[in-house]
Amino acid sequence: MTDITEHTAARPRAEFLHRFSVRDAGTLIGLVVILAVFGVLVPGFFAERNLINILQQSSINACLALGMTLVIISGGIDLSVGPTAALSAVISASMLVAGVPFPLAIAAGFAIGLVCGLLNGVLVAYVGLQPFIVTLGTLSTYRALALIYTGGNPVLGLPAGFRAIFNGSLFGLPLAVIIVAVVALIAWIILKKTPFGEYLLAVGGNEEAAYIAGVPIARTKIAAYMISGLLAALAAQILIGRLGAAEPILGNLWELDAIAAAAIGGASLMGGKGSVVGTILGAVILGTMRNGLTLMNVQSFYQLLATGLIILAAMLIDRVTRGRG
Amino acid sequence: MSVISRLQFKGISKVFPAVRALSDVSFSVGAGEIHGLLGENGAGKSTLLRILSGVYRPTAGSVLIDGRPVMLNNPVAARAAGVAMIHQELQQVPRLSVAQNMFLGHPLTRGGIFVARREQERRAAEALAALDPTIDPAAPLGSLKVAQRQIVEIARALLDRARIVAMDEPTSSLTPSEFKRLAEVIARLARDGVAVVYVSHKLDEVFGICQRATIMRDGVVVGSVDLAQVSEKAVVSMMVGRELAQEQHRSHASSEVRLSVRCLASATKVRDVSFDLHRGEVLGIAGLVGSGRTELLRLLAGADRASSGTVEIDGKAVKLSNPRDAIAAGIGLVPEERKREGIVPLRSISNNMALASMGVFAPRGVIDHTRLKRVAAEKMKRVNLRPFLLDRPIRLFSGGNQQKAIIGRWLAAGTRILLFDEPTRGIDVGAKAEIYHLIEELAAEGNSVVVVSSELPEVIRLADRVLVMRDGTVAAELDRADLNEQAIAAHAIPQSETQAGKAQGHRAGA
Repeated sequence: MTDITEHTAARPRAEFLHRFSVRDAGTLIGLVVILAVFGVLVPGFFAERNLINILQQSSINACLALGMTLVIISGGIDLSVGPTAALSAVISASMLVAGVPFPLAIAAGFAIGLVCGLLNGVLVAYVGLQPFIVTLGTLSTYRALALIYTGGNPVLGLPAGFRAIFNGSLFGLPLAVIIVAVVALIAWIILKKTPFGEYLLAVGGNEEAAYIAGVPIARTKIAAYMISGLLAALAAQILIGRLGAAEPILGNLWELDAIAAAAIGGASLMGGKGSVVGTILGAVILGTMRNGLTLMNVQSFYQLLATGLIILAAMLIDRVTRGRG
Repeated sequence: MSVISRLQFKGISKVFPAVRALSDVSFSVGAGEIHGLLGENGAGKSTLLRILSGVYRPTAGSVLIDGRPVMLNNPVAARAAGVAMIHQELQQVPRLSVAQNMFLGHPLTRGGIFVARREQERRAAEALAALDPTIDPAAPLGSLKVAQRQIVEIARALLDRARIVAMDEPTSSLTPSEFKRLAEVIARLARDGVAVVYVSHKLDEVFGICQRATIMRDGVVVGSVDLAQVSEKAVVSMMVGRELAQEQHRSHASSEVRLSVRCLASATKVRDVSFDLHRGEVLGIAGLVGSGRTELLRLLAGADRASSGTVEIDGKAVKLSNPRDAIAAGIGLVPEERKREGIVPLRSISNNMALASMGVFAPRGVIDHTRLKRVAAEKMKRVNLRPFLLDRPIRLFSGGNQQKAIIGRWLAAGTRILLFDEPTRGIDVGAKAEIYHLIEELAAEGNSVVVVSSELPEVIRLADRVLVMRDGTVAAELDRADLNEQAIAAHAIPQSETQAGKAQGHRAGA
């Protein structure tokens, strides 16, 4: 009798643990500790307004980091997300200024993101170049294209109607946060529930074995880079909506923040490992740090230092707890 | 043998969190003795070797060298104490030269700053001279064959003036003639007074070169035996803890042709291969390493592309341009190198099993995990996975159980033609018997099986018919009635080699 009750009691807990891994729990604890520290040090830190601020400030990085996570899981890396966003931003913006309807201009921005990702993916998957070098090359290339296209000048005067789309709010939350939350949900479903997600994990975990098992290696990798490009374009739309202008130098060093969020969240640069929940938590951790330190009037040099230490601490904890789920 | 042993394990225990890997292990190895260490996977052999080489520290007990207890706190200390470890997977840097590898970690220097490359090469050549003088110390290590690389490791042990050499599965990828050479080298080490601890799954090898052996099971020593006094069968039952029934071969082959291969060739290794595979048949493919066996399987599995030839399944021509084509045609490959080509280490048993049939589990784009779990449970029960933990990452399972999961992968994908490349490499005796059983059951159910193996007893045990490959093509086809090791070997050895041998004999005679 006791046996049976024990069994039924253990079941749901195991299910829950399966959904929410030990590693994600660790990231969550890290976030809670950081929140608690700032809660004590900064008066009014837990005010609703500030918490929403943190989410809004984290949303662009979270958006990029989700795409980055999928690419990293596939065993690659995408250093070109910032310039991809810039190229997408200036093209959408100049169309908007020229009076092209919003949906068309936004679609064109997304298309740019997809094409940038496609080029990365094809060079990695079909030509067989190393992802780091490919995207290092396209990082400069895409940035140069954005600069050449605009002559180095910002595109100013976006229509108010367009700005309203990304500056609105729903249920008291900024639309940008809601958009990224929906993207995160989709990314989670992709990774956990679709063959493509399983293929990403397999390709990054052991490409040769995945090939023998019939996994479409090239298609999987290219899709990951295209998603990353698309999410960079989405981040670009959110940003130019907020700023009302598109600069060709927009998105400088975005790739590093995105990689940091993914790594804090448990993605392994060796491939085959990563978590959507973890990445979101990682992005929020970085956003919280920045928000809290700014409120404390800490110099930006120290903010940089704190961000660096957080990344290193996360990696050390990863190392120590390695192989325990 | 001297009274004081060169190497003595005294009451060694090792406890990991939640696992007791070794308990009270004691045995000794004399100077000049070649001592076999036998046991199934998980018996504790590797843990013991890791203690000997300073990777792990024992929870209790001590290691004595020449009667004195030694502290082997790290690999450097173990090396200083005279222990050399030769790993199954060679730990070398292929881009560096042979000599650089031999002095890796403690290079000879001039004035502590510059590496004395010439001097290193001279000393390396000295050490190699006794073992294999054809190895060039200046050559990049990667240009050497596996067997030669092993010799380099042994030469490195000589350079270190090792008193104890531990070898973990040194022969898992050697041909018989390479093994013979290695055996001579080991015997020479022993003559020089080195104590050799020799771990292998291949009992015939252990019986061939060791004088005594210690058998372990579940972390304890079952016994140390004098190999001249016991039978292989007795040793096996000590290893597995029960008698293994000697199974008789039973054929399930029908006359219906399932797979028909004609004039198949690849750009490099395979040329003009033709054969038929019947329903319910187990076809063995024997031949030396490099005779094109693995390459032939890879062509059939779609992993490499054929340059010419045709493949028909049930009378219909099929195109095999990639593994997906092959899987769709009902062909699945169980590859030789499980770690490299078989498993996705971090993923669970269930996910590894489902990898080849994702389309089936996700008919509308979303994976039906309930169904996946149910099928995984069914297939893994069928292949007798142990421990039966379907959500556990596959890397935490033994080689035999990983192999079972890969077989389950093809069962789930509805494969009807299974290609096995060295199905029991690196798998212990008990699991080996299970894999044999499984292959026979698959055949009995009407599947067709191809088994490539370097182990002739394995081929003879399993195959209804054997193709012997040589120089990329089928040199002979042997029916069950004509099947014996001599017949296979006679066809497998390249003609050019035997002719060259004869020619040399003539010259010597003249």
